Amino acid sequence: MIRRVLVANRGEIACRILRACREAGLASVAIYAENDSEGLFRELADQSVLLEGDSIATTYLNGAAIIQAAKDTGADAIHPGFGFLSERAEFAQAVMDAGLIWIGPSPQAIEQMGDKMSARQIMKAAGVPVIPGVEIEEEDEALAMQAIRNAAEETGYPLLLKATAGGGGKGMRVVHASNELESGAKSARREALAAFGDGRVYVEKLLMKSKHVEVQVLADTHGRCIHLGERECSVQRRHQKVFEEAPCSTMTPALRERMGQAAVAAAQAVDYVGAGTVEFLLTEDGSFYFLEMNTRIQVEHPVTEMVTGVDLVREQLRIATGQPMGVNELNIRGHSIEVRLYAEDATNNFLPAIGPLAVFRPPTGPGIRLDTGVREGDEVTPHYDPMLAKLIVYAPTREEALQRMRRALDEFVVLGTTTNIGFLRDLCDVPEVISGDTYTSMIDDLYPNGYTYNPTEDNLNVALMTAAVAETTGMHRTSIATQVGPAGVVSPFQTLNRRYP
Amino acid sequence: MQHEFRYNGETHEVLLERTPKIWTFANHCAHPREDGRIRIYFEDGSKTWAHVAKVGDMWWVHHSGRIFTLERIEAGASNDEQHGGLVAPMPGVVLEVMVSAGESVEAGQTLMILEAMKMEHRIVASEDGTVTSVHYNAGDRVEQGTNLLDVDGTE
Repeated sequence: MIRRVLVANRGEIACRILRACREAGLASVAIYAENDSEGLFRELADQSVLLEGDSIATTYLNGAAIIQAAKDTGADAIHPGFGFLSERAEFAQAVMDAGLIWIGPSPQAIEQMGDKMSARQIMKAAGVPVIPGVEIEEEDEALAMQAIRNAAEETGYPLLLKATAGGGGKGMRVVHASNELESGAKSARREALAAFGDGRVYVEKLLMKSKHVEVQVLADTHGRCIHLGERECSVQRRHQKVFEEAPCSTMTPALRERMGQAAVAAAQAVDYVGAGTVEFLLTEDGSFYFLEMNTRIQVEHPVTEMVTGVDLVREQLRIATGQPMGVNELNIRGHSIEVRLYAEDATNNFLPAIGPLAVFRPPTGPGIRLDTGVREGDEVTPHYDPMLAKLIVYAPTREEALQRMRRALDEFVVLGTTTNIGFLRDLCDVPEVISGDTYTSMIDDLYPNGYTYNPTEDNLNVALMTAAVAETTGMHRTSIATQVGPAGVVSPFQTLNRRYP
Repeated sequence: MQHEFRYNGETHEVLLERTPKIWTFANHCAHPREDGRIRIYFEDGSKTWAHVAKVGDMWWVHHSGRIFTLERIEAGASNDEQHGGLVAPMPGVVLEVMVSAGESVEAGQTLMILEAMKMEHRIVASEDGTVTSVHYNAGDRVEQGTNLLDVDGTE
C-alpha cells in the first residue's frame, strides 16, 4: 500500500506528479532547495522539506537526504520524475533498501538501459534493430581519441558522437567531416564527463532525414506489458525536442504494430515495470532502429495521454502499489501536439535566458492543456533547466491540432523574460511541419545561419507606439500587481503594468 | 510626445500625436484603458489588444501574437555602446581560454568556452582584430555581463 508519496523533483514535473497524487487520494511530500522556496510545486504538496545547500549535489541529487526526508515525513514511496535521480540505479536500490517503494522500474533495468552499450547488446539479442556504430571503451584520452578515429573510418561521415552515459543532448556532437572529428570528440568527452561523470562516448552512423519516433510502454507486476502507440519528436534544436506529437504523421497501423512489438520486446528483455519509453529512429524507407530506452516518465508524455485517454502518472502509482494497470484496449483518437516553452533566445543560438515573469498569461479554451511549474511573478534563474512550460493541444485531426496550436501560441503572453514562443509559432507555419515531413536535423537545415525574426514595419510601429504610449501615460508607475482584489485573487488585467526595477 | 527606443540594435524615434483619448503613430492608433490594457487600431482597420510590462529600461510589448523588447533611450543619453569587449551571456564557469593577449583573431574564431546551465557556450570574435587582454582563466566563475576579454578591431 502507498499512502504518502515523496516527489524527488521540482518544477513542472513535480507539479504534474503532486496533482496526480491528490487525484489518487494520496498524501504528498515535496522536497525543495532554498532557491526554490517560492516554487509552485511546494504549494501543491501537503508538506515540503527543505534540503539545505546551494548546489544540486546537496539538494535534488542528494539521495541520502531525500530518503531521510521520506522517512521523517512518513512517506512510503518515492517518485523521481524525470532528470535528477530518475535514472540512477543506485538511488532506486537505496530507496528499496530503506524499505520504501520505488515508483519506477527495477535498479537492474535502469542500469541495463542506462548504459547505452549494454542496452545495444540487449536489444540486438532481443532481435530489435540497432544503428550501425562502434562502442569506445577506452577511458584514457589518447587511446580513446585513437579508437574514435578508427571507428570514424569504419562508420563513415556524417557521424554522431554520443555520451555513453548520456541523455538530453549533452555530450552529443555531429561530425560532418574528418577535420571536425578532433575538436568534436574532445568537446563531447569533456561535456559528458562534466554532466555524467563519465567521459566515454560512442560513434554512430548519422542517419540522414530520419524521424525520431518513440513508443510508450507500460508494464505491471501481473505480467502485462503493452505499448500505447508512438510519439514523434523529430523537431529538435541542439538535440533537444521542442515540438512533439502523437500519432506520428507518417505512421501506418502495420508499422505501429511492428514498432510497438519491438518496444514491448525491449521492455520485456529487462523485465521492465512501470512506464517507459523506447526511442527509435525511423528512416524514410520505413526501417527503424533502437536508439535508447528511457526508464522513467518523459517530458512529452502528455501527447500520449491526450490521444489514448490514459493517465500515465496515475498508472505509475497504480502499478507501484502492485495493482494491475487500469488500461483497457488501446484506442488512439485524434491528434495531440506539445511544444516546450523555454526561456531562451531563439535568435541567438537558443541561448538560455533569465529574468522575471512580469506577465505570464497562458492560453485557455477547448483542447488546451498547460503543464507548468511557474506562474506570474516568478523569477527565471540560471540554477535550473530553462523549460518554463509545456503547451499541449488536442483536436480531432492533425490539421486542426496545428490550427489550435497557432491560436494558443498567439494568445500566450510572457513578458519580462525572453522565450521561444515566437519561434514555436513560426514552426507551425513551416511547410515540413504542415505536411508532417519533419526530420531530426530539420531546424538546422531550415536555419543554417540561425533563426531570425524580422517583424513587418506595421507590427514594429505598433509595438513602438504601444511602448511610447505606456511610457507617456506612466503605466509602469502603477504597481497594481501587489494589491490583492476582494476575492483574494489578483486580476490578470491588473497585473499587466507591473514594474520591475 | 517624443520617445526613442532601441530594437535589435537600431534606434527608432516615435513622435506620438494625441487627440483627447487616442494616441496615433504611423497611422496606427492606441487607446489606453484605465485597467492597464491598450486597445490598438491598425491603419487597415483591424484591431487588437496589446499587453505591456517594463523591466528596467526595457519595455516588453505583446501584440498580434508577437513579443517585442524595446529599450527606452533616455533623452540626451549617449547611445554609443560599441566597444570591443566580449561579455558572458550567462553566469557560468570558464572552461577553456583559446587565445592570449597580443594574438590576432579572425571574425568567427572561438576565443573562450564557457559552461553555463550545463551547456557549453562559445565566445566568438565578432570581427577580425587583436586580443588586447584576457580577464579570466579556465576554472574562473563569471557573472552575467562580465567582460571576459577585449579585442581591438582592425576595421
